[in-house]
Amino acid sequence: MVNSAPDAVDSATDTLSDHELMLAVRDGELDALGELFERHHGPLYGFLVKLTGQRTAAEDIAQTVFQRMLKYRHTYRDDGSFTAWMYHLGRRCAADHFRKNNAAPAATDPSQLQDHADDTPHAGDRAATRDDHALLHSALGRLDRDDREVLLLSRFQELSFAEIAAILECSVGAAKVRAHRALRELRDTYFQLQKEKLT
Amino acid sequence: MNCTHAQERFADVFDGRLAAADTAEVRAHLASCPDCQREYSALARTLAALDALPDARPGPALRKNFYAMLEEEKNSAASVAAATARHRHHARVSLWRWILAPAAAGVLALGGFLLGTRFATPAPAPAPGLDPATARIIADLQARVDSVGQLVGMSLLQQRSTSERLQTVLATLDKKNPDQKVISDLIGLLALDPSTNVRLSALDALYPHANQPIVRSGVLATLPREQNPLVLVAMIDFLVAARDREAAPELEKIVRNETIDQGVREAAKRGLAQL
Repeated sequence: MVNSAPDAVDSATDTLSDHELMLAVRDGELDALGELFERHHGPLYGFLVKLTGQRTAAEDIAQTVFQRMLKYRHTYRDDGSFTAWMYHLGRRCAADHFRKNNAAPAATDPSQLQDHADDTPHAGDRAATRDDHALLHSALGRLDRDDREVLLLSRFQELSFAEIAAILECSVGAAKVRAHRALRELRDTYFQLQKEKLT
Repeated sequence: MNCTHAQERFADVFDGRLAAADTAEVRAHLASCPDCQREYSALARTLAALDALPDARPGPALRKNFYAMLEEEKNSAASVAAATARHRHHARVSLWRWILAPAAAGVLALGGFLLGTRFATPAPAPAPGLDPATARIIADLQARVDSVGQLVGMSLLQQRSTSERLQTVLATLDKKNPDQKVISDLIGLLALDPSTNVRLSALDALYPHANQPIVRSGVLATLPREQNPLVLVAMIDFLVAARDREAAPELEKIVRNETIDQGVREAAKRGLAQL
């Protein structure tokens, strides 16, 4: 995690949990949100890039999420989970973004492909990996947004299914079923795209 | 375990959230079922590909914009806190104006009365043996001397400190029927005194005499000169309490004047509704 918090963020906040920090924000210590930003903006942004397929949109939405945290800080509950609340706001903001732009997420953002370079030594392997990532992004882009959300939350964000269920406002059992169904959908689409590429 | 049960548990196996005994049961089924093996393998490859997707990193603008927004919110929160403090101060001033100041004036008046009855020398009676005409002349002269004394006293008022001027204004409250000079001096203080507190106290001192047309017209004439929103609102309240319908055009002017403080304009609007 990048951690170059400005001086405004008190180093004493390092030892506090996310929940304690958010309670402090709620009680008027707004600087505590700086530490929460440093801890979470990276994973949140990553989730939003995969969800929207667009880097610019993901940045805008992440910004809006932290803006809403400030605006609605008084609604944060004593028994809340900060991460679940953040992703709850995240998917709401993403839904608003899609509604405003009246567009489904892009299957693949070509500018993303540059970011997929990895440490594979051979150029041919690197190209294959990039292609594979692009195919997976395309497959993700073809899922329903609800399926994509549950899959990304369950794989990347280190959330329990209880928290995912709270974010999606459904039961734990329903969240599990939806996550598994989404994975099967992704597999079908991903393999189909691989076949199409080979032929 | 049949295929349906096994496949229902794949997600938990992938997450590592299944109990060891249940996981072993699923693996035992996989070992004997080629269909489930294919399903499991395909899902595992998809998940591996998904987990291998590199994390995108946000540009510097996100952090920059976030801290700019945070600063803005902090300033805004500080402004709200300052406004709340101002409001509380205003409430304290109002408490002083409407409850404590009259109470203090009452205590002063009572004290003055008690001291007066105990120590004051009795008024000199006309000397015996004077004819009625001479007695009238002496009484007239006495009244003129008293009036000059009042005039000099009020003129010197402006040269005193703010607290002394306040005390003098409060002292007028114990006069049940102050003469017109005292009334006009109070109106003069309301119009000209540089201290907001003295002007507010002068207005308070005029309240018992709001039934006099000269008092109402004096306050109304002073209204356009006043700049302080607090005093303006108090004057509007005074005119409305006095049911002075002649104040309506002046209040309408205030309502229409967008350069005047919003609170004053709202007070004028409310006042117009009551008039």
